[in-house]
Amino acid sequence: MRNRWYLLMMAPGFILLALFLYIPLFMGVVMAFQNYNMFNLTDLHFIGLENFTAIITDKTIDFWQILINTAVWLFFSLLFQFVLGFGLALLLKKPFAGRSIYSGFVFYAWALSGFAIGLVWSWLFNGQVGLFNDILMKLHLIDSPVGFLSNPKYAMVSVIITNIWYGVPFFGIMLLAALQSVPNELYEAAVLDGCGPVKQLFSVTIPYIKPTIISTILLRTMWIINFPDIIYAMTNGGPANSTNILATQMINKVYKQYDYGQGSAIGVIIMLLLLIYAVIYLKLTNANEDNI
Amino acid sequence: MKKLTSMLLVFALAASIVFAGGSGEAASSDSGKVKLTFFETMTSPARTQYIQEMIDRYEAENPNIEIELISPPYEQSDSKLTMTLNSNQPLDIIETRDYTLKQFVNNGWLRDLSGYIDSWEEKDNLLPLTLDAARTVDDIPYLMPQFFYVKALLVRTDILDKYGIEIPTNLDEFYAACKELTSKGNGQYGYALRGKSNIFKIFDVLIAGNVGNINPENFYESNDGKFWLDSEAGRKALAEYVDLYKNGCPPDSINWGYNEQINGFVSGITPFLIQDPDVFSAFEGQLDPSQYTVVPIPVGTSGYRYLEYGFNGPSIPVSSEHPDEAWDFIEFMLSPEEGAAFCKMYGPLPVHESVYNDDPYFSSGNYTAWSEEFNSPETIFAMYPLDDPKYPGWAQLHETTLQALLLGESTVDETIEIWADYWGY
Amino acid sequence: MKPRTRRNISTAVRVLLLAIYLIAAILPLYWIFITSVKSPQEIYAFPLKYWPEKISFASYEKLFSISTFGLYFRNSLVISLLSSLGAMVVAVMSGFALSRYSHSRSKGIIELVMYFSQTIPSFIIMVPIFSIFSKIHAVNNRAMLGIVYIATVVAFCTIMGKSFFDRIPASLEEAAKIDGCNLFQSITKVVLPITLPGMAAIFCFAFINIWNELFLAVMLLNSSSKMTVPVALNSFISKAGISWDVMSAGIVVALLPTMVVFGIGQKYIVAGLTEGSVKG
Repeated sequence: MRNRWYLLMMAPGFILLALFLYIPLFMGVVMAFQNYNMFNLTDLHFIGLENFTAIITDKTIDFWQILINTAVWLFFSLLFQFVLGFGLALLLKKPFAGRSIYSGFVFYAWALSGFAIGLVWSWLFNGQVGLFNDILMKLHLIDSPVGFLSNPKYAMVSVIITNIWYGVPFFGIMLLAALQSVPNELYEAAVLDGCGPVKQLFSVTIPYIKPTIISTILLRTMWIINFPDIIYAMTNGGPANSTNILATQMINKVYKQYDYGQGSAIGVIIMLLLLIYAVIYLKLTNANEDNI
Repeated sequence: MKKLTSMLLVFALAASIVFAGGSGEAASSDSGKVKLTFFETMTSPARTQYIQEMIDRYEAENPNIEIELISPPYEQSDSKLTMTLNSNQPLDIIETRDYTLKQFVNNGWLRDLSGYIDSWEEKDNLLPLTLDAARTVDDIPYLMPQFFYVKALLVRTDILDKYGIEIPTNLDEFYAACKELTSKGNGQYGYALRGKSNIFKIFDVLIAGNVGNINPENFYESNDGKFWLDSEAGRKALAEYVDLYKNGCPPDSINWGYNEQINGFVSGITPFLIQDPDVFSAFEGQLDPSQYTVVPIPVGTSGYRYLEYGFNGPSIPVSSEHPDEAWDFIEFMLSPEEGAAFCKMYGPLPVHESVYNDDPYFSSGNYTAWSEEFNSPETIFAMYPLDDPKYPGWAQLHETTLQALLLGESTVDETIEIWADYWGY
Repeated sequence: MKPRTRRNISTAVRVLLLAIYLIAAILPLYWIFITSVKSPQEIYAFPLKYWPEKISFASYEKLFSISTFGLYFRNSLVISLLSSLGAMVVAVMSGFALSRYSHSRSKGIIELVMYFSQTIPSFIIMVPIFSIFSKIHAVNNRAMLGIVYIATVVAFCTIMGKSFFDRIPASLEEAAKIDGCNLFQSITKVVLPITLPGMAAIFCFAFINIWNELFLAVMLLNSSSKMTVPVALNSFISKAGISWDVMSAGIVVALLPTMVVFGIGQKYIVAGLTEGSVKG
């Protein structure tokens, strides 16, 4: 009986999602199967999977390298965002004087736009007038400036560091909240059983907040994959494709080459990969519906 | 089933409410006034402000016209213009660029301006180059060029004096000077190389002069219809460029875009810079005019310098309902006085013959280099294959493959083969 | 080792780690702030200056004079506040309903729809949204932009909302029902007060996202009098590069509202995410 009311309450959200996400998405997916290239729209028709094969078999912009880059970008960003965010949450769990001001400062990165972060960090990493090179030289850790963004060996590391910096606050906040919801009795019981702090962490804390961990990691994965802003502003996928990920290549196709068909095809590939990932991830973590 | 129907009903109802609210704003327009919409693409806050002032002057003279200016941020403006044209939104004057021209014409979005230009009193006062540029696609003027962008070499004379190095007059001297500066150490390098975002235009002027025999109709083709880089001289020129990066440029410059180039030049790390004349505004307040000079691009071993002229200017889209009024505003904007004033404010080269003759500004000071380039028998202007469907994808391919070459991940031969293959030679 | 020494060491380690986090977090902000109060000559000066010789507000003056930044700031504030409020209302309704909804199979599908929307790359929907908006003459309409903004954050906000309500036992509403309240009264009088922190958290999340949104604003607004702060910041990148003086000042000013919202809200964010389970 009440379920019908509940559906009605969900209606506004659904209508918004349908109108401004799902209907446009449908139109975008249709474009992925058309020769929708703004260079010449006079002969617009369906071309089957040609956009996909063109992307995958591109001889110069190596698709497999882009895939590997995307995986590296995702894995290391996510790993360190999570570990450092969790660490921060553990540090902040016990109250101390000035905690709220302190957390205001460590969490503010969350409030910045990706575009601004990319700009600021590309300046910090600059090989000539960058702050990081200057500090490292003053500390005599290096003799000559490091090409953080110009050397393919360091470029990916540099953009990932930037992304970690941006993402730690999200995990910090979410996990801090989860940590505070762990009932104290559980810890008291653990202490009675003779558990040290490390054992408490693994046998009490983590199991208790597992649902939060699972859902935040899943969401964050989706966001990191779909987050070209930092790389786009810092290296534009270079040098020599070494930081090009699916999301930046999609911008290149849409904004630089006006090939909306191939751009949308990359979008479809992104979503397919995320779906496969989500299914495997939820199977592996044994998540049931209550967890998400 | 009943549930589904009621859901759909709610959905339709809400949609109609949402959309009904949307159409309110568009319709309002003062009675009797003709409303024009001008879409600016080469935006910057100062330039937008200048155009707005120009519009205000025009509106004061023509009280029956009202012009609305749309100026999205530079990085998104071409994209937004493309989408706007594609969705048939009414626009009256748009700023078309050399590389968006073909695309707009292909899609049938632009009006033929022949009629307007033929009856325009300024027609005979335009540089021959201006009308050539206007007729880039299908020999029909789909845009009226307003600005030219031609490359020249900017030199920090104070830095060169410090090391006792002469201003180079040919490419060999230029390469040598860059390497000599770099050999001084202490963070001193030679050339502000650009490694990312649309680098091929700057790259080509440093290569083409050493190869020669280039088809003025197609920058990538030799006069006998071959891909000119795929030759003895081409391979040598490209190898020299790699050598220039390794021994004459900051290693970091492979990731330099426009800003880093400017920073390198302003800070003196790299006292050589190749840019368009609109670069000067970037030095304002940071460099004293006595610290630098501008010279023509050095000629290569072929005895020539090959230059491309970039251009942009207003077009009238097919969707415009007031093309005559739109052209009237274009005439105003492109009068020699307004045109010259705009160029002074913004930097690029004007399109009128008379401006160069009457106004010493464009043949003196910083602009001397360009007037030398224009008048030199050693200069050959060549056009990019703007109407080739491969052209829009060239920038990214060129950038990644050149970066790979500079980093030593591929060889000169492999790189030239990829490029020749891309262009279908 | 004595317990006291051990505790001292662990405190020291904790302080040290907190200090490292703080330095890492603040350094970029410090640098952008210092840049914004340097004179234009000093910005590009080499060797780097860690502190300006003379504090100069020239960049801020330029920011508010060459562009109508004050106007953009107001526009952003109005759009972001209204859309975030809207998003909060919609998400609280749908989050609550989703939490209490008992038809388990449709519930799974609904949740899937919410989560799946997070996988959509924004560039795949950009062109279609623009053509839809053109067809219904909704381009250059701030109210419509605000509605799209609500749509872009509503899925995550609903997920957040549902997790708060999951932690608040339905027995609370049942009790209210026995007291003679109908469904909506039980929500407004019993459930909402408990979930205020949660609502604040949703609001903050929505506000931060909407305040920083760039691409939809560029595409869907035309008049410069309607532009928002991220668009203005982006316009400092022209063919002639980035004007770092105004850009750094602009980034600092653009950060203020999110800092305020975040400063007020972070207590609630954490509390909001914790609340239900402490009570339950």
